[in-house]
Amino acid sequence: MNKQLFFKSAVVSTILSYLLIFAGGLVRVSGSGLGCPDWPKCFGRWTPPTNIEQIPSYIDPTSFNIVLAWIEYSNRTLGVLVGLSIVVLNIIAIYYFRKENKLFYSALFSLILVVANGALGAVVVSSVLNPFLVSLHMILALMLVSVLSYACIESYKLLKPHKLKTRLADKTLLRSLIVFWILIIIEILLGTGIRTNIELVAVENPLMSKGDILNALNSYKYFHSILGFSLLFLSIYIFIKLKKYNQTFIKFLAGFILAMICIQIFLGEMMIFFELPQLTRLFHTWGSSWLVGIVIILYNCINDEQVI
Amino acid sequence: MMNKLYKKLILAFFAVFFLGILGLLTIDKATQSRINNLPTINQIPSFELTNFDGNLFSEKNLEGKITVASFIFTQCEGACPIMSSNMALLQNRFSSSSDLQFISITTDPDYDSKEVLKQFSNKYSTNDNWFFLRGQIEDVVKLSEDGFFLSASLLPIGHSTRLVLIDKDKNIRKYYEGTVDANILELQNDIVTLINKG
Repeated sequence: MNKQLFFKSAVVSTILSYLLIFAGGLVRVSGSGLGCPDWPKCFGRWTPPTNIEQIPSYIDPTSFNIVLAWIEYSNRTLGVLVGLSIVVLNIIAIYYFRKENKLFYSALFSLILVVANGALGAVVVSSVLNPFLVSLHMILALMLVSVLSYACIESYKLLKPHKLKTRLADKTLLRSLIVFWILIIIEILLGTGIRTNIELVAVENPLMSKGDILNALNSYKYFHSILGFSLLFLSIYIFIKLKKYNQTFIKFLAGFILAMICIQIFLGEMMIFFELPQLTRLFHTWGSSWLVGIVIILYNCINDEQVI
Repeated sequence: MMNKLYKKLILAFFAVFFLGILGLLTIDKATQSRINNLPTINQIPSFELTNFDGNLFSEKNLEGKITVASFIFTQCEGACPIMSSNMALLQNRFSSSSDLQFISITTDPDYDSKEVLKQFSNKYSTNDNWFFLRGQIEDVVKLSEDGFFLSASLLPIGHSTRLVLIDKDKNIRKYYEGTVDANILELQNDIVTLINKG
């Protein structure tokens, strides 16, 4: 019962966190980061103003744009919901799983991450969207979904100890999954670096087209493409290796990773050819966050402790 | 087991499809809102001032150009240097565009002679699209209050610290606090919106 409660709570927190990353991505690509110029309130109110008269006199109404305010506000609201869901997760962890280190510490660590990232959100706003801080904000969110995904799979294993028992886990496969996860993190950091540089150049050259900015960046941007294509082969290797496992769930995860890598390469190429369309950027970022969490789930599905 | 998986896949399909549409609509609405957020406030009335090089500058010089305007005076030590630095920043960033110009009107014409304004111009401006204007103090007050709707009491220090965005048809489109970075970024984005609109 308690295990079920923790598992469900972890799943809810994870899903909400993924939606939060989507909302955060939407804020970035739609340029709504300053939709609310203050923090945590929005134009001095707990809900964004619906007309200019509602803005208090001490706040300059210049930047008031109701659409951008609500986009930013939805990101913050979702952030609060994620925070609350993680508080619930921690209450369950403290009550029932103080001795289960994996569950207890993953819950605690996710709480630290969500609070830190909320505070960083305030710094992002006050820094007038410093691209480095915006990227750090996203990286902390990726760490959050990683920890929450871990909490999900570990509580699932406690809940249904026989469900995921596999044949003898293949050491090479486990190692390659670790390498794969590290490479994905490096790949995301490279992508984030490109994004950060584009934004830095764009602010200095507001009339330069996104395609020209991309061309103007150092050739290090190609590492992102090269590593992306290399990851395709690693994911095919993992997919083939996992075919011999008889659990549908594990096969599904392997298929998901392979498909996601293909989608990411496709979206990445689209961005180069069509001057970084905003929706493509949004899904490219969001897809990468899914990879991070799914690889963690897959690894913990087949790791040593599950070996019969 | 397989059946459950299919159901989840269908669910995932709808979730991604829904989020995609939501994303698309949101981005579209955000883009549209930037244009809608630049309403026409008022047209600049006729005025006549003199540039530091002695040339006449009137409302006719606003036609066909996007203009960023400010009220300053050269001995000001508070907001004016920040406002002027921010305008210089914008002048640099938009140096490739011939659609944009800048005007700074002195609220202290007694001290700010043409020569003083020229020196001030050399300090900040790196191009010939920034005009430092002076005129009779009564004309400046009238232009500030009745033309730009900016308070101008207790001059020279009582001038407004706001920057004004004026479109190619001499219409005021928006005001920006000239000392706040976030507002300068907003102004920059709005200039891009107006330039792209043509």
